[in-house]
Amino acid sequence: MAAPRILVVDDDPDALDIVQAYLESRGYDVATAADGTEALARLEEVRPDLVLLDVMMPGIDGWEVARTIKNHPEFGDTRVVMLTARSDFTDKQRGLRAGADDYIVKPMRLEDLGRKVERNLEASRRSA
Amino acid sequence: MKVLARTRSAATRQALADAAAAIGAELVHAGPETGDLSRDAVRAGASVIFLELRDTEDVARQRQAAREVGAALVLGCHSPEACRAAALAEPDEWILLPASPHEIGMRLVNGERRVRTAAGRRSEAEAAAFVRYRELLHDAATGLPTLPVLIPRVREWLEAGDELMLRYLHFVWLERIEDVYGPEKLDEVIGTVAEAVREFFQGKETGEHVLTLDHAGDEDFILITRARAATAPGEAAVSALSHEIERLVHQRIAERHGRELASLAGLYIGTASLRRDPGIRLERLIYRAIRKAARAALDVGERERERKAERLRTMLREGAVHMEYHPIVVTQTQNVYGYEALARGEYPDLRSPELVFQIAQEANLIWEVGRLLRRLAIEGIRDRLAPDQFLFLNVDPYDFEDPTFRELGPRDLGVVDPRRIVLEITERVAITDYPRFQEHLAAFRQLGFRLAVDDAGSGYAGLGSIANLAPDYIKLDISLISDIDSNFLKQNLVETMVSFAEGQGAQVVAEGVERPEELETIRQLGVHLAQGFLFKHLEEDERAAA
Repeated sequence: MAAPRILVVDDDPDALDIVQAYLESRGYDVATAADGTEALARLEEVRPDLVLLDVMMPGIDGWEVARTIKNHPEFGDTRVVMLTARSDFTDKQRGLRAGADDYIVKPMRLEDLGRKVERNLEASRRSA
Repeated sequence: MKVLARTRSAATRQALADAAAAIGAELVHAGPETGDLSRDAVRAGASVIFLELRDTEDVARQRQAAREVGAALVLGCHSPEACRAAALAEPDEWILLPASPHEIGMRLVNGERRVRTAAGRRSEAEAAAFVRYRELLHDAATGLPTLPVLIPRVREWLEAGDELMLRYLHFVWLERIEDVYGPEKLDEVIGTVAEAVREFFQGKETGEHVLTLDHAGDEDFILITRARAATAPGEAAVSALSHEIERLVHQRIAERHGRELASLAGLYIGTASLRRDPGIRLERLIYRAIRKAARAALDVGERERERKAERLRTMLREGAVHMEYHPIVVTQTQNVYGYEALARGEYPDLRSPELVFQIAQEANLIWEVGRLLRRLAIEGIRDRLAPDQFLFLNVDPYDFEDPTFRELGPRDLGVVDPRRIVLEITERVAITDYPRFQEHLAAFRQLGFRLAVDDAGSGYAGLGSIANLAPDYIKLDISLISDIDSNFLKQNLVETMVSFAEGQGAQVVAEGVERPEELETIRQLGVHLAQGFLFKHLEEDERAAA
């Protein structure tokens, strides 16, 4: 079976690098995008199983990207996990409205990130 | 790579040593009291400074000093809050401690690399400025260009001697979507409308066209079509076209956002033609045409509103509404706890409760609608409601202003005990006067009525406003429940709601439960009651009894 494919979207290149390096060390196939527009543009080519999405980005923000993916006729089933600096109720409600499947509060430990990625891939395999 | 580290705990020292070994870095320790690490870094020839933060740390000063000597600054902090505070000083990396050697190693490498490549990122500010500029000239929700962007195109067409047709697409009742579902939802719907309109005209007309919004952020569209040898269409043609567009728009909204929302969007179109006039400045010419078309569209809209209000009056007179009773079930036992009464208009064009509410509000019929629905709801089930079952009645904050509602008593209820009635408050309109509203509620509570808050967790009824009402039941919106078995964000939100409710002495009702897996998940999360399609076999219908 091919390695699960993950698209990581963050406008901070350093955050992007470290998450990519970590997930690759765990055996995932990782693609990256530096902003929302690039993320949407790369969907077709990457066809990710899971999108790891930073909320705060200039231009199209993470919520908007999540909404677009979840409303997409072809990619609507893609798992979307938000990376957010806030985790209060209102923020989670925004995630809900955007159609996100899970969220991770920054700052996070890479191991926690790995666990969340794993359980989301597991859940999407189950519901497929 | 050489790392100068100032650590505070043995655990961190150990993890750091393992990390350094793993990435092949040399590790130098500074004394625990060392203040200025940058000087030591220069002496030791270290390219990375690792700092396990103290409470009194002056992070900004450390940042500045590290930058001056060209070393990467990596901060270790012991809580997410400390990390967030430290992040404000923009270190090259930070680590939430305790962390694995694997993570520490990766972050050290990343921090150093960041310093090395920092020079290559000067153009970020320029890119941001460009994005801002583009955002100014385009509407955020639809991506459509604003009118000024289109004027050169229009000028070109007019100067070529062509006649242009300007159509003003006036949508009514979209604002209801904003009231009920929040501004983001309306933006999404407007986006869908824009796509549908574009799709329609692309398939339809041979002439070139441009589409914009009357005002960025608004919901009325302007379509300018270049039509060679155009003849002004008659009123019948315009009206037929409006219906066609409306149909497509509804279809697309229904596909994307559900039927309920689609039935809310009414569309009226006004037209004006546009021809070159050397005596009048082009911009003025365009704005005049827009005003003319807008007035025409508003006129049609006004007539249509009056017609709908008349229909509603007829419906009320004839009582052309029937009641459905959706069971509310105890998650642990699956016994029927009670029923929610839901009204269904029998006129096809007035089936949507949202639409009826909107028309009723405009035509000042809100109270009458409420009275009829309450009477029918109670009459339809009062002989069949078991003594230990509850009837959930939908009420709007408006209803509490109705003097006859406040007298809701034995006359309306018949044999039904007020203690068996749950008033379910839908915050269709925001409650503005809380103290007054609380007074009304207190009067009802005195009589034994219970209180439920509807659609919690979805809209923007925050926890604060729910706490204010101190309800006996908190109903969770279907958007929180569907597929909750595989969505961790929803599980987390529902968990929060359950513990919030328990703190308030309230019970949680999950709406829209459709699958056994969803029921099982919410049961495990501690949700007390559930309703939805899964329990359809337990449904009651007033007509079933007749």
